[in-house]
Amino acid sequence: MIDLKNTSTFNLSQPKKEEFLIEILNNLTEFHLENCQEYNSLMSKFKRVDAKAKSIEDVPFLPVRLFKHVDFLSIPQSKVIKTMTSSGTSGQEVSRIYLDKETSALQIKVLSKIVSDFIGPHRLPMLVIDSKSIISNRKKFSARTAGVLGFSMFGRDVEFALDDDMSFNFDRVREFIEKYKDENILIFGFTFIIWKHFVEELERLDVKVNISNGILIHGGGWKQIESQSVSNEEYKERLYNITNIRKIHNYYGMVEQAGSIFMECEYGFLHASSFSDIIIRDHANYTSQDIGTRGLIQLLSVIPKSYPGHSLLSEDIGEIYGADDCQCGRKGKYFKVYGRVKNAETRGCSDTYT
Amino acid sequence: MQKREDAVIHIPDDIYSKLTFLIGDSEYISNTPVVVYDELRVEFLSDLSKKLLGQQNIRDYPDVATFAFWCRKSNLLRIMNDQDVDHLRLGLGLAFHICPSNVPVNFAFSLAFGILSGNTCVVRLPSNNHESSIIIVKALSDLLHSTKYVDVVKFIHLIKFERDDHVNQFWMSVADARIVWGGDATVSLMRKYDCKPRSREVVFPDRFSLCAINAEYVLQVTKNELDAICKNLFNDIYIMDQNACSSPQLFAWVGNDKSVINRAKKILWSDFSNHVQERHDLEPIHYMNKYVNACKNAIQYDNIVSIKHENNLLFHIELSNFHDKQQDQRGYFGTIQEVSINTLDELSEIIDDRCQTLTYLGFSKDYLHRFVVDNQLRGIDRIVPIGRSLDMGTIWDGYDIIGHLSRIVHIY
Repeated sequence: MIDLKNTSTFNLSQPKKEEFLIEILNNLTEFHLENCQEYNSLMSKFKRVDAKAKSIEDVPFLPVRLFKHVDFLSIPQSKVIKTMTSSGTSGQEVSRIYLDKETSALQIKVLSKIVSDFIGPHRLPMLVIDSKSIISNRKKFSARTAGVLGFSMFGRDVEFALDDDMSFNFDRVREFIEKYKDENILIFGFTFIIWKHFVEELERLDVKVNISNGILIHGGGWKQIESQSVSNEEYKERLYNITNIRKIHNYYGMVEQAGSIFMECEYGFLHASSFSDIIIRDHANYTSQDIGTRGLIQLLSVIPKSYPGHSLLSEDIGEIYGADDCQCGRKGKYFKVYGRVKNAETRGCSDTYT
Repeated sequence: MQKREDAVIHIPDDIYSKLTFLIGDSEYISNTPVVVYDELRVEFLSDLSKKLLGQQNIRDYPDVATFAFWCRKSNLLRIMNDQDVDHLRLGLGLAFHICPSNVPVNFAFSLAFGILSGNTCVVRLPSNNHESSIIIVKALSDLLHSTKYVDVVKFIHLIKFERDDHVNQFWMSVADARIVWGGDATVSLMRKYDCKPRSREVVFPDRFSLCAINAEYVLQVTKNELDAICKNLFNDIYIMDQNACSSPQLFAWVGNDKSVINRAKKILWSDFSNHVQERHDLEPIHYMNKYVNACKNAIQYDNIVSIKHENNLLFHIELSNFHDKQQDQRGYFGTIQEVSINTLDELSEIIDDRCQTLTYLGFSKDYLHRFVVDNQLRGIDRIVPIGRSLDMGTIWDGYDIIGHLSRIVHIY
């Protein structure tokens, strides 16, 4: 068992943190080798069956895209209480992540430790920049549903800013802001939903709402607004211009490792908590890269036990800026994400009548 | 002397309005054939070759250079000499070509085959604008403006149009031949349309290709020969990153002594690995696609024993045996799926009509001939030495394309 209670979220220095992580990660590798036949078969064929990694760089990983093709389970099907899916756009295959009670509970505990470091220990009045319909189907979890429900535990009196047709409901929002004008408010939403249905909409209508007492947390990826090439700085500035919100935190994470998210600090860097870490790897040989070199992001997490997702190679490009010395005071690695590996044309004779 | 008026096909207005002509804009399309290897057309193609090879930046476009090299005069004359000359042959009339988007120069080969066989060609280009195809279209266009080729102009029409049943149906209804590249789905789509009773088709559906290596032979080669072998394998595997239908997907080591095979593998692959390192680099997404595909296959297929990769350029996937869906087990971007067999005959187990090219190393032509005949193979249309898997020619996919796109006039 992981001693969550007595482990500080952002106070372990990188060497101490790696000592803490390696034991848990090796245990997870061993557990999945014993309990997930597909994982075992894959690792055997790659000759990676030992669960005695000496450093976190040596922990074997799976490409995260594999979850779109293979159902990975390290528990009996009967123990599955929740299935999460990635938010693939229409036509794409989605990842399916199977959770049991233990893993699901751990997700919540870890998420709670991370988020409370940014918003404080108490529940805050919460405004979700999304429509209520997103949480209606609770059996099948999309990343958006999981995000909204996951973050709802940090809020109280949860209100939704958008109607079912995704239009911004001014009356509801103004009433909510007025009611809680004397305390901190948690505002949560997905990066592109906030952009499209909040920022751009208010700019278009030339309307402002003053929520200077708000702490805004957003995540889910920049892909959908990448074509508009909106930088994080511009995002924060234009959000501030219409809302007066200063405290804006992006987070990076994926449904395949829900819970152990990476939050953006006051200085604009994403931080790995004690319960997760990242390694940057070179495309051409997967060797781990030093601080200051861009490459593929590998994510480690202590959470995934019901499926072998504790060490995943993503298709996102990132760069580590340093460890233990961010101006915000948080220990561990801090980094930035630069979007996804670009798709490239494939030559050949496959079906190509376009 | 007044020339006889060409027979023409009028394109109805509603169809014409949907077409974009890159070359040969006309509402009237000739379907008058000429003799195969017409002198003026051969001249035209060899001038095209000169024009392309003379371009300053031709080295940046190896695919264009390959096409240009193929249609230089000496090669066209060689192809002509190899042909059966006993009969008088003429084109069929109008040939309609559907070309794929991911092999940019494919349309140029298709066009060349069509005009050499004596046909008027209407070539549908894919919707994307690849630089290689732009270069060839420009060269064609320039050449067709010269007075020398005033009689070739009306036989070449390069067009684009959105996917459209009516347009496809129109061309199918007037074409004497249809040439369809692009795989199973495109072929079956094009077969939906009504065609002229005597029209012919040349179709290129999905294929599977493989490579056979004589282990004993590898142990006997000199260092220089080994380097040449690596160069050839590199061309087969990396020029099209194993996405071409003729790129080898499976590598069979042949030899009845396991220790010989193991030694041969060690010698060849260590040299090959160095060779690849020096020459190649892949797009980051292609590394990832290859890796994910290898993982997927490892889980799906029991016959995979091990997956080895020193780096991400080259993956070696060791197979214990064949299975009945062997041809679905694919690898791209430098994925060597390899299996050991005692004799070449064991390979016949997985050869069906989907098999296209067998590249070989260390076998005699006689032996390969016997292999095909004795095993009564339903597949394999090309058997070529390693390094030649991508060589395009008028004999392709089991067709004599020129022969197929022309008719014999039997005079005796």
